[in-house]
Amino acid sequence: MKNLLRYLSPFAPDQSGAVSVLFPQGGLIVICDAGGCAGNICGFDEPRWFTGRCALFSAALRDMDAILGRDDKLIAKLASAMEDVGTDFSALIGTPVPAVIGTDFRALKRAAERRTGKPCLVIPATGTKFYDVGAQEAYLELVRTFSLERLSIEEGTIGVLGAIPPDLSLIHPGEAVRAALDPGRERRILCFESPDDFRNASAAEKNLVVSPCGVAAAELLKERFGTPWEIAVPWLPESLKQRLAALHGGRILVIHQQFAACRVRELLPDCEVTTGTFFRTCPEWMKPGDMAFSGEGDFADAVESGGFDAVIGDPVLKRAVPHFRGEWIPFIHFAVSGVLEQKEEES
Amino acid sequence: MAGRNQAFFITAGDLAARGRDNVPGELKSSENLVYSSPATLAFNSPGAQGFGVKRAGLAVPGSVMLLVAPRCCGRNTSALGTGGVLADRFYYLILDETDIVTGRHLRKIPDAVKEVCASRPVRPDAVMICITCVDALLGTDMERVCRASSEAAGVPVVPCYMYALTREGRVPPMVSVRKSVYSLLKPRRKDPASVNLLGFFSPLAEDCELYELLRQAGVRHIREISRCRDFAEYEAMSGANFNLVLNPEARYAALDLEKRLGIPFIELTRMYQLDKVRNQYALFAQAAGLRFDDAPFCEAAEQAVSGFRARFGALSFSVGEWFNGNPFETALALVRYGFRVPEIFGTPGDVSFPYIRRLAQLSPGTKIYSNLSPTMLAYDGRSAGSGFALGQDAMYYHPELPGLRWNGEDQPFGYAGIRGLFRGMTEVLASRDEGRAVR
Repeated sequence: MKNLLRYLSPFAPDQSGAVSVLFPQGGLIVICDAGGCAGNICGFDEPRWFTGRCALFSAALRDMDAILGRDDKLIAKLASAMEDVGTDFSALIGTPVPAVIGTDFRALKRAAERRTGKPCLVIPATGTKFYDVGAQEAYLELVRTFSLERLSIEEGTIGVLGAIPPDLSLIHPGEAVRAALDPGRERRILCFESPDDFRNASAAEKNLVVSPCGVAAAELLKERFGTPWEIAVPWLPESLKQRLAALHGGRILVIHQQFAACRVRELLPDCEVTTGTFFRTCPEWMKPGDMAFSGEGDFADAVESGGFDAVIGDPVLKRAVPHFRGEWIPFIHFAVSGVLEQKEEES
Repeated sequence: MAGRNQAFFITAGDLAARGRDNVPGELKSSENLVYSSPATLAFNSPGAQGFGVKRAGLAVPGSVMLLVAPRCCGRNTSALGTGGVLADRFYYLILDETDIVTGRHLRKIPDAVKEVCASRPVRPDAVMICITCVDALLGTDMERVCRASSEAAGVPVVPCYMYALTREGRVPPMVSVRKSVYSLLKPRRKDPASVNLLGFFSPLAEDCELYELLRQAGVRHIREISRCRDFAEYEAMSGANFNLVLNPEARYAALDLEKRLGIPFIELTRMYQLDKVRNQYALFAQAAGLRFDDAPFCEAAEQAVSGFRARFGALSFSVGEWFNGNPFETALALVRYGFRVPEIFGTPGDVSFPYIRRLAQLSPGTKIYSNLSPTMLAYDGRSAGSGFALGQDAMYYHPELPGLRWNGEDQPFGYAGIRGLFRGMTEVLASRDEGRAVR
């Protein structure tokens, strides 16, 4: 059965992806749920949540809220919390509950902005999609809201989109990317981790897109300010790079988000490399044979019958391919396993 | 940020004076957004650590669980599932956008159950189907779906309702799942020397006197679902002479067992006040017509308290609500033992009000905060005046203090609970004095 998972647990959902982009922005974030989604996001998918306080809330919807709508009550709670906390903007993130009852997020946005006098971002996530969809929508909302002014282009300034914990498997992915791109700290790198980064977006010479979730925002910035963008994966785990350096020849399958997998392929010129992903792909970056898995069974068939000498991917995936006899080279993907590159963090 | 910059609190004295019908809105989760901090993780998502509906449903030995939900509902199960302690017992039927609007997924469930059963080397004894807010809103008749699934797969299929939307309703998810896990028990002949302990999904602490007291009273079989090694042992719970309910969340299940199987029940409460524990055992013995001697256990607990007091003096405690106990009752116990409690992080409900009223007499200045209040973002505990943090949430607010989570899986109860609590706190403080870290 296509949607039946027998070996793997579900991957990070869209609302988690949205939070991963919004978390460092300093706004008041409301998960429009009954509590469980907020618990899941914070307790599992947002590693920064354990490191400091963040104005992240559950709407604490109850059955009668869902049955009767009661958007006015939600807006009143939001306004009260804004007064308590004093943030410059708010963000409402959807979950299955508003998806089922057909919540009008645009109307909520208007009501919240009227009531609080501050911007309200809305990401109508449904909990049925992957994290990359939610992250993409959050980036787009931030660009639409804050990237309004055309500034002079500053030489050396670079924007980086898509550097989020679910993809880089780091608590502070921006720091790792900055260190990789600019070890001498001589340039201005906008990792889009604050509203000011978005306000200054037009000053960037170009944008680097680290994962597919950043493509749509990069396109919007190009459309709005003419900022060119390109795909780049400036950071990979050191342990992986060492393993890759020792690989010569053979058929390899790399499983990760598409851009990271493609970057690994570039580092293996002597090998016959196929990439695979469970997540969104940009067709122009697909090579013949590259795979987009539609589910666990599809993935297992591809790995077990693909004749690969090695698979590079998150170790948690091994469970679904018990008959694969090749080598498994770990390449952690937080959105898949909820595991961080701890050693990298420590170093 | 430029907010109000102060966490809301009310003193025990003021709260008692206002009464249970006039609790300030700041302390009510229904009137505010719920602040999501590590201190509220257990409230928002009981399964993130400890037992939520998913893990609790698997308390039935030999069972597997099929979670029927959007992918987000199963995400944190990764910690228990893939590579986790229950790795081979979770399955997921992932709903897409069309499913959650039309409910078409319901037709797939019997086939999914069949496929799950067929995929296992040994047929499971039961399949627990966990459904979530989506089906709560769709009004799914899951009993009917389970019957159809049971017919299709040839195994008992039981619904577990993870309806977070109903958490403040009459039958919240953690109450409902307790009924679910005992629902497979069928009538059988009663064994007068057999008792079930209901309430927890993990066993009572090994040193709990309740086992010994029941044995003294002639009970030969004391059964807990978490100690059942297989389905047959679980089924033997049907023969109990009576059920002991140790957690009010199991009352609904006990009522169901009384109605279906004719097993009466008696409720005991977990408390940390010695005299209350003693009174409770006396009343229990009287009501059940049992005889036992709890004096040695009481004495040992008394010594644990007095020994701690003698060694560490009149400590001050920040008492949280994320631990195995009622924060207000535990705070009251500490105050009655001669300690100070400057602050409590707790949600005052009807059950807690008698303790709050007594606290108001003994320690009227104790501040009561709600973990759930948005104002807790501004909580600053530097002037709290505490010397020890009890509970995982209190430890979150006070990382600088020695603290004890006291939320382990082995359940403290009765005199052994009191002994264990003070032993745990002693270890923490002693290790601090010796420069070791124990939490």
